[in-house]
Amino acid sequence: MRLVFIYAIATLIALALETTIPHWLPIGMLMPNLVLILAVDLGMKHHGAIGALLAFGMGYAIDSFSGTHLGLNAFMLTLTYLVAYGLSRYLISTSTTIGVILVFVAATVTGLANSIGSAGLEAPGDAFAMLPGLALRAGVSALFTPWVFALTGFSKRAVGLRSRPVRE
Amino acid sequence: MRGTFLWRHRVVLTSGILMLLAMHMLSAGLAPGARAEKPSLALMWILRPFQSMSADLAGDSTGFVHDYFDLVNVRQENLQLKQQVATLEGQRTRLAELEVENRHLSDLLELREVLAMPAVAARVIGADADELSRTLVLSQGSSDGLRRDMAVISTEGVVGKLIAVAPDASRVLLINDHNSGLDAFDQRSRARGIVAGQLNGDLTMKYVDRTEDVKPGDSVVTSGMDGIFPRGLLVGQITRVSQEGPGLFLNIDIRPAAEFRKLEHVLILTQKPPELAPEFKG
Repeated sequence: MRLVFIYAIATLIALALETTIPHWLPIGMLMPNLVLILAVDLGMKHHGAIGALLAFGMGYAIDSFSGTHLGLNAFMLTLTYLVAYGLSRYLISTSTTIGVILVFVAATVTGLANSIGSAGLEAPGDAFAMLPGLALRAGVSALFTPWVFALTGFSKRAVGLRSRPVRE
Repeated sequence: MRGTFLWRHRVVLTSGILMLLAMHMLSAGLAPGARAEKPSLALMWILRPFQSMSADLAGDSTGFVHDYFDLVNVRQENLQLKQQVATLEGQRTRLAELEVENRHLSDLLELREVLAMPAVAARVIGADADELSRTLVLSQGSSDGLRRDMAVISTEGVVGKLIAVAPDASRVLLINDHNSGLDAFDQRSRARGIVAGQLNGDLTMKYVDRTEDVKPGDSVVTSGMDGIFPRGLLVGQITRVSQEGPGLFLNIDIRPAAEFRKLEHVLILTQKPPELAPEFKG
């Protein structure tokens, strides 16, 4: 329950930041994908059905609040959670470096999937033209990863949760 | 239970089921304004205070940054004088901000009188989290009489239409979003087409016949035939006209009249434009 509470609050804060800062500061693509970082954190450190449900919920929250295709972010964040879970189990590691790499790859793939979803399959060229911008945003997201991991770790310790992999 | 196949693979199975559910939502083509309206509105309601607060902070911080640079080169001064200067500067910044806000609202009021249509003014308090989708969050909602599909305009021109309305907030789909389209015509040549957004945020006019005499610099205005925007509102100016490709139509780029990134206040038309007779719709 504490885990759900922490990630729900973190998602709300991340969404609030992502929906307000870019409008008032001219940073455009430089706004990190904070919710995706949370999904990777969840996948690497919380191995259970609740983690998958939380990742789906995060994606659904993004879908219902922004964008125009319901289900796209829910799908991508659940997939991101699953990959992060698989990697951390396979490598038996929750290293931040792996998290950074994973966030970069996941942010690029999610951005590309969103572009293709938005442009439609009849115009994939338009979506691929956005790749440099998407990679830039993914890079910024990767840079923010250690801080987000540290913040969630701190919050979890503050409420008495383990910040290392937890199995139900 | 713990040793069973289901338990051992619960993460993969749960994720798989959830991804199938997400794919079902995608394939069913549900828009966030349709069946997902309730969660979307609840989120909008929860996030509104954060967004409103950050909109206020953004206004204050601009003044703070300017004040800081003004004061960097000032040498040692009497503490009391400094405090007075700072206080006066703060007041001046606030007054300047109020003056700008007042001007925006006066302009909107003037526009409302010109349009002679009932309208509600709203403040922009947020934007879209997805860099590919272009929407804004407004401070007014259904408690102020707003409904979906109402036209949103600014003093510069057309902004978009409402796609989700919570009691105290609402979301506007901007005209440069790739899912947006509105019926418009070139004011000089009277050539009609559909103004639509592109994935990269540009605005184009589609389905204008190659024989039409459309030129860069022409103004594009709403036709009033989409049942959302009244006729004659400025959409933007044509910046480029080309005939590239094998199609039947011209490629027309438009620069939107409204600067979406700088929008602070908008006007929402709460009444639909009068219906045109079917013979005028063709």
